[in-house]
Amino acid sequence: MARLVQELNRLPGIGPKSAQRLAYYIIRLPDEDAYALADAVTSVKQNIVYCEGCQNLTDASPCQICADPRRDRTILCVVEDPLDVLAMERTRSFRGLYHVLHGVISPINGIGPDQLKLKELFIRVADAEVTELVVATNPTLEGEATAMYIRRHQGRDDLKITHLARGLPVGGSLEYSDETTLSRAFQGRQEI
Amino acid sequence: MAPPRTYRCEAIILGYTPLREADLLVTMFTRDQGKVKAVAKGARRSTSKLVGHLEPLTVVRMSMAHGRNMDIISQAEVIRSFSELKEDLTAIAKGQYLAELVDGFGAEASANPGLFQLMIDTLGAVEADSASDMPLRFFELHLLQVSGLMPELYHCVECRNELEPDAHRFSPNMGGTLCLDCSPDDAHLRPLSLRALKVLRLLDRSEIVESCRLSPDDGLAAELKSLLSTTVSYWLGKEIRSNSFLERLNKESHPEVYI
Ligand SMILES: [Zn+2]
Ligand SMILES: [Zn+2]
Repeated sequence: MARLVQELNRLPGIGPKSAQRLAYYIIRLPDEDAYALADAVTSVKQNIVYCEGCQNLTDASPCQICADPRRDRTILCVVEDPLDVLAMERTRSFRGLYHVLHGVISPINGIGPDQLKLKELFIRVADAEVTELVVATNPTLEGEATAMYIRRHQGRDDLKITHLARGLPVGGSLEYSDETTLSRAFQGRQEI
Repeated sequence: MAPPRTYRCEAIILGYTPLREADLLVTMFTRDQGKVKAVAKGARRSTSKLVGHLEPLTVVRMSMAHGRNMDIISQAEVIRSFSELKEDLTAIAKGQYLAELVDGFGAEASANPGLFQLMIDTLGAVEADSASDMPLRFFELHLLQVSGLMPELYHCVECRNELEPDAHRFSPNMGGTLCLDCSPDDAHLRPLSLRALKVLRLLDRSEIVESCRLSPDDGLAAELKSLLSTTVSYWLGKEIRSNSFLERLNKESHPEVYI
């Protein structure tokens, strides 16, 4: 029991109290449900691999998106993590391929370019078929620094590199926006 | 008398980590209370009015409320965003290096307004000239000074004699410079050239703007960098993690210096 609580406590967003609650919940589960959970954890570790194309986590490489012949292979969208792919796919507005970095450059946390899937990105970008790179890292200091690093190191001078528009969040207000967001929103203004 | 429930402070954001579903745990260095860790509730939602005000290397005026375990950030207003610095990768990497050192040397619940001002002045100097390394050298020496660890630059730390204008030696753990006549058994002892000693004294006596006008040649720059970063990491008691990314960017821009 203590071991289970300890393991659950290591999950992101799970404090000691939540870990205890989850542990009690698991103990009260019918045997087959508890084993199904344990089996799901084991099989995810045994079967999940990085997609040879986009580096997203997948149970078969290439992943569904990379294998889909209807996707546009000339445009790559670079994101920080797999959840960003899900979010982008929900919008149904992007038909190209992805590239998942699995993090951002974070020198203070000891994460440099070599700890991310950047080498894999630069190999993909070297293919002349790719004509546009959409850098969709988060608009944080580390996300922006990673975007700058990619722009500097991608190695081609004929590649179109774009950024998601930086602007005001839907539901946000001018009054509470910081100056960086406001000035970027201004730069990215569109005709209406 | 019970402490007031809310208070205001000026702070430099050093970094943050996600906390629970939508919150951030923000590490900052305040003018009046040293290092503070506080929770920004809901700050990861794009509609939060705190979004964008809590990015590292930003000077912010905060309203805080005392919480049960940790203080809560109720409002934040950007005073200085260093937005030009944040458009330049090398400048960002330098800023992250400064933030790591302030996080390491700054103590919680212990005001160090000198360090607060030093960080702001140095970020300003990096923003003004991102190619120069002198802002970092100035910062390292004055970081030691405001932390009460200033190395001795005028007398031998062993025999106390005034230093002759000559080459000397330097030891971080013995507290600074040694003359050539004293040879204590010390693994950290390293040579110190006369011109490096002169630059250190100048950094000690000058304002940051003046210090940053210096442009030492590659050999001297390398000696100063090695001496000061070794001393800083000696007192920090660990390796400075952000140094390796900074070195990497440096190598890319001056491949000839580092063979
Ligand atoms: Zn894929
Ligand atoms: Zn001596």
